[in-house]
Amino acid sequence: MLTSLHIEGNSLLHRLSVRAKLIALVASSIGLFLSGSLAVQAIAFVIAAALYLSVGLSPKEALKRVGFVFLTIFFLAAVNLFYLSVAEVATLTLRLMALVTFAAAVTATTTISAFMDEITILLLPLERLGWLKAADVSLALGLVLRFVPDIFARYQAIREAHRARGLPVRPLTIIGPLIILTLKDADTIAAAIDTRGFRRQ
Amino acid sequence: MNTRDLVLIALFAAIVVVLGLIPPITLGFIPVPITAQSMGVMLAGCILGAKRGALAFLLFLLLVAIGLPVLSGGRGGLAVLAGPSGGFIIGWVVATFVTGLIAERTVRESQAEMRQFIGFFLASVLGGIVVLYAIGMPWVSAVTGTPLLTVATGSLAFIPGDLLKAAIATLAARAVYAGYPLLPARA
Repeated sequence: MLTSLHIEGNSLLHRLSVRAKLIALVASSIGLFLSGSLAVQAIAFVIAAALYLSVGLSPKEALKRVGFVFLTIFFLAAVNLFYLSVAEVATLTLRLMALVTFAAAVTATTTISAFMDEITILLLPLERLGWLKAADVSLALGLVLRFVPDIFARYQAIREAHRARGLPVRPLTIIGPLIILTLKDADTIAAAIDTRGFRRQ
Repeated sequence: MNTRDLVLIALFAAIVVVLGLIPPITLGFIPVPITAQSMGVMLAGCILGAKRGALAFLLFLLLVAIGLPVLSGGRGGLAVLAGPSGGFIIGWVVATFVTGLIAERTVRESQAEMRQFIGFFLASVLGGIVVLYAIGMPWVSAVTGTPLLTVATGSLAFIPGDLLKAAIATLAARAVYAGYPLLPARA
């Protein structure tokens, strides 16, 4: 149900470290926003598109992943034509398309565990301050992945219960029971975690 | 943070993921379809309170960032955050915090049912609509160059749906408050 957007492969982006990719993403977004030149944005978009198409996604899947964001960008570009010159609109649109494409390429070439390792390192300063524990973040992430299928099954059960009684399936009558039933498990799950000493307290 | 709060935060983030899997509803009198997931901000604030609610959404944001397709419609990854509506998704964390802060201060167990409804509705509208748009709209404007006033005018199309969401979230949050109260801040 929750399949990561990562794609197996051995392209240039696959071989780069997560840190290098994230720094490149941040640097290019700052750089492109500082530059008002249409040519720079166009070159950036071509490079980003070439990188994105080289990661091994099928053209259909590649388009599907960025399609929705592109639609929003095109819609706002159409609105912008009433206020700005065509060159300005082209600059703004290409810049966003370049960044979105590059970001999609980073997502497609980075595994969840690689991201988590990097996040653990980024959280170290906060851990030293005693604000949080990096292990807790991983634990919480694991819990989400573990419980989404359960909660979805529960949603389907409540929906079936509505149908069996001839009730219309409305968000209002589903969300309440879904949340109460789910959160009531918290005590049992917390006790299970503490009993096994996962958090070393 | 105790383990129970950690589990509550994770479970709520998981609930928000599941809300994204529920098909959106279209109503005749509202121009945009209503996704159950966007109600998550109001629900998390009103049910878990400021701190735990905001942390649940921070965790959800992390899921998006590391490339899980958890946003409604199976979207996710850094591309969504880099797009024009990235500000709304990042704004969810602050919006949930404000919703929770208001709910914690206005809703008491001793109050009459009606007062609790008003408290939750006020929190949902101020946090989940006002604060969210205050972050999301300037972001859209800054990223795309569209004048802020135009963005604001365009966003008016979403307001009726948002008010309806606030109403549904109010009723659901009050049902949870009666059945399994968590809001009294223990975090």
